[in-house]
Parts: sequence; structure tokens; C-alpha cells
Amino acid sequence: MIEIKNIRKVFNAGKTNEFAAIDGVSLQVDSDRITVFKGPSGSGKTTLLSILGCMVRPTSGRIEVNGREITSLPEQFLAEIRRSGFGFIFQQYNLIRGMTALENVMIPSYPTGERRSSLKKRAVELLDLFNVSHKAGSRVEELSGGEAQRVTIARALMNNPRFVIADEPTAHLDTKLSREFMDIMLGLKTEGKTILIASHDPVVCDSIAVDRLVGMRDGRITTVDDRR
Amino acid sequence: MTFIQKQRNILDVALCSLLRRKGKNLSLVVAYVFVIFLLSSVMFITDALKREASFVLKDTPEMVVQRLVAGRHELVPTAYAKVIGKIKGVQSVSARLWGYYYDATNGANYTLIVHQDLITSPGSIMVGRGVARHLSAGENGTIPFKACDGSYLFLEIRSVLPSESELVSADLVLMSELDFRRLFQMPEGYATDLVLRVRNVRELSTIAAKVVQLLPDTRPVSRDEILRTYDAVFSWRSGLVIVIFAGALCAFLILAWDKATGLSAEEKREIGLLKAVGWETSDVLLMKFWEGMAVSLVSFLTGIILAYLHIFFTSASLFEPALKGWSVLYPDFRLTPFIDGQHAATLFFLTVVPYTAATIVPSWRTATMDPDSVMRS
Repeated sequence: MIEIKNIRKVFNAGKTNEFAAIDGVSLQVDSDRITVFKGPSGSGKTTLLSILGCMVRPTSGRIEVNGREITSLPEQFLAEIRRSGFGFIFQQYNLIRGMTALENVMIPSYPTGERRSSLKKRAVELLDLFNVSHKAGSRVEELSGGEAQRVTIARALMNNPRFVIADEPTAHLDTKLSREFMDIMLGLKTEGKTILIASHDPVVCDSIAVDRLVGMRDGRITTVDDRR
Repeated sequence: MTFIQKQRNILDVALCSLLRRKGKNLSLVVAYVFVIFLLSSVMFITDALKREASFVLKDTPEMVVQRLVAGRHELVPTAYAKVIGKIKGVQSVSARLWGYYYDATNGANYTLIVHQDLITSPGSIMVGRGVARHLSAGENGTIPFKACDGSYLFLEIRSVLPSESELVSADLVLMSELDFRRLFQMPEGYATDLVLRVRNVRELSTIAAKVVQLLPDTRPVSRDEILRTYDAVFSWRSGLVIVIFAGALCAFLILAWDKATGLSAEEKREIGLLKAVGWETSDVLLMKFWEGMAVSLVSFLTGIILAYLHIFFTSASLFEPALKGWSVLYPDFRLTPFIDGQHAATLFFLTVVPYTAATIVPSWRTATMDPDSVMRS
């Protein structure tokens, strides 16, 4: 479970263009659920996901992951939490060009010091799970949008994280692929993963897989729709 | 074991990253190798020549006494030898006859030395291999020398000096005293300089002081001073070569600085991504360290090996004119391979370490930022 209390994130503090991307948000994200943050561009969805995923520190407020306060932890501990606890699916996929799909999937596990053979075995199994194992040796720039998306999901799951965070995951997908993505998320939820998604795509927001829909605007939570 | 595996994994990503930017890194390696090659070539040849010179000069007399007139080197009366020979501590004094001869026909300078032991009869000479090559002359050949009075002296080559000594004997002509004096119209009772052997080298400075006291128009030069002069000449010449190639060095420094310090937007995004998926700042820096190390170490070793081949196998074909002298009689010889470990280590620390550091610093700046901020920028 993740709990955030009175989170505020200010960019360009002290400058003329200072603005608060997140302005006093408190929320409890339950485990084994799919929570979707919905809102227009600039509403603070991505920033909130980054804060929840320990990718950025809030200007003020507290974050607790499974009861452990992490706001004041040094960077190396946050990196360890990101590596073992979170899997990220980015809007632009953020796969490293020039590397193969397999190498991209293995990247999060390299600092663990695990043997390469066992990393490779796990990465191939994940690619196989999402039906892209035949592209394991292909460079990522040779992949289609749907294939790149599935490679990104495989990478997010490489370290078997408790939480999966997806930022506008269907922005570059057609309706069919978007539905496939939500089916995959549903499958992960069934396996016990906690899913956090930022999206304003109706395919995502209206999906039956979603347990909670959080509306956002101007850095604040406007609505919370619990569907279960 | 985990630590080693982690290093291997990160090294793997680093090498993969280098290969992904083949064009950029290859151009950098080429420039890097060229600069290391030049610097180490200069270093190798200078050290090897200094060493050769010190070996050659090892058996030279402890002191040479010259006579000065108006600050210029002048012929010394052989009578001075008797005066110096009486100084306590002097073992022996002998007069030397030597000079330079310009062969206008062939455009070459020869060093002429009188050697009483090797050349016993007038009319014959011994020549260095450079002279023999230049004149296409061998044993029993005749070389005409134009004397000061305009007449010609035809001297027969008795033998050519061995190739082992070519570094110092390439332009050498050994002749009899009689021929030498006839050639330069040098009066009897005068020599070019005097050489001294002393019983105790620690008394050299005292003996030198006494020589100057007894014969105020003389200048004693000790062997150490000659060695220091050789050292300075070779260092100066190597400095000259470095100045010639300073442009290339500056171009490389600018290129290396630009390539190493400026992270592209793609590289920054990659660092942000690695941090986002759980890499620590130290992991990112380790990766960049291996990248910088791979480029600089490969370039350093390649440059050093090429320089070694260039100096010790092709006799420094690229810049021997600048380092060996201005004579047209270049010695044809192979230097004994010699590398000064301290100089090599200095070159290593002045090239590999700064480059590696230059690649790490900008990455460190990026890696210490929030991954989210880096990926958004």
C-alpha cells in the first residue's frame, strides 16, 4: 500500500515562473488494485505518478510505501526501492535505441549482480509471456508500437516489482492494442500487482479492470470514483 | 562474486553504449591514438637517444680544456698540456685535433678527427657509413678534400667504420695528423683542444679551478657538463617536435573535451531512464567510467604500440630529421628499445586519467538529478 499525505511539488521555486504541479494531495493507494489517474494535460498526473514511484521528491508532504516513510531516504535507498518495488511503463516507451529488445528488458537487473544467464532466461520468459520473444534479438527501433509497448511491460516486470506504474501507456496505441494492454494489466492485478496508471484515454478509464478512478485538475484531486 | 558479476554486467552496457555511438567514438579514438602516438614517439626516441648518448660518452675523458679568444673557441697551444699535466690529480693530458669539413660538391658536412692509433700513415682515412653511403664509396676508394690553399688532397679509404657505432660515426672521417694539418693549414704546436684524465673524479671541480687559475684564457668542460648538454639538446629537440605537433594536440583536446563533456539529449535521457529503473548514481558513474576507460585505454595502448614500432622498427621515419640533427648524413641505425617507465606513467596519467574524469563529471551532474527531471529535460 502507498499512502501520500499533503504532497506538494513546486517547480522553478523562487523564480518568476514558479508553479505548483501538485498542490496538497493526500491519497491512499490500495494493494492489488488498478488505480487510474484521469485528467487533462497539466493536471499533475505524471508528476504524481513520479512522486509515487520515488522518481522525484516532493517539495513537502510525506510518502509511505507499505508503512515505511520514504520521503527522507537518501538517493541510494530510493534507487533500491525503485529497482525492487516498482516497474515503470513510460508514455514514450523509453527503450534504449541500438540495443536489442532482450537487452532492454534485462537493463533494470544489471546492478543486482545476478548472473547474466539467469537474467537472460527470465527476460526471454517475460518476452514470451507477452508474445514478443521472436523479437528478442531485434533492435528496438525495428519494433512496431505494440511490440515496443509489450517490451516495455516486460522490462517493468523484470525485477518482479510489487507496483507497476504506467504513464499514458496507450497514447500511441490503437483501440485494439489499448484493450490488449488493459487485459495485460488485469492479468498482472490478478497476480497480485498494484497498478497505477495516468491516462485520459476512455479505453483505459472505462475499462472494467479499473478499481478506482481518481480525477485530477490543476494539481489537485477533484474526484475519487471507487468501483469496487 | 556478485560484485564481479555486477561489474561485468555494467561493463557490458558500457561497451554496448560505445558501439551504439560508433561514429563519434571511432573519430575520438583515431584522434586520441594519433596524439598518443606522437607524444610517445617523441618520448621513446628522446629517451633512447639520451641513453645511447650516455653509453657512448661513458668512456670519454673526464675533462676537455678549450681555449677562448673573445668568447670564441680558438686553437689551444700544445704547450698548455705541460702546464696542466703538472696539476696535482691529473693523470694524463693529450692534445686533440678535430674539426668540420663542408663538402660543397656533395652538400654534406663531415666531422674530421685525427686518430693516431687507427691512422698511422698519411694518405689514408677511415670513414663512417653515412659518408661512404653519401659518396657511394667503399674501401680503397679515394675522396678528394679541398684544402685551405685551394689545392686538393686525395685520401684513400682504408676501411668503413662498423655499423654499430653509426649513431655517432655516420659523418666521421678519421685521418692522420699530417693530412689534417695540411688540409686546414693548421700550424704545428697547436691543437683543437686538450683532454684530461684525472685520478679522482671528485676532484674535477678543483682541477678545473686550477686550470683556469694557471691558464685564464681556457675553459674546462667536464664530462657531466657534456652529458647535460646532450640531454638538453635532445630535450630541446623533442620539445621542438611537440611544438610542431601542438596544433594536433590542441585539436584533440578540443575534440575530446567536446565529446567527453557534452552529453547529448539522448545520453541524458538514457541516464534518466537507468536511474528510473533502479540504477544508483554510482552504477551510472561506473558505467561512464568503463566507457571512458575503454576509449582512453584502447587509444593509449594502440598509440604506445604504434609509437614503439615507429621508433624501434622503422627508426623514427616520421621525424628523424628534427630529432637526429640537421646534417644531410642521417645515421641509418636501429635504436635499442628503451622505455622510461616514469615517462610512460606520466603520459598515462596525463591522458587516460583526465579523459576518464572528463567523461564522468558531466554524467555525475546528470546522474545526481531526479530521474524524472532528467527524462523531462
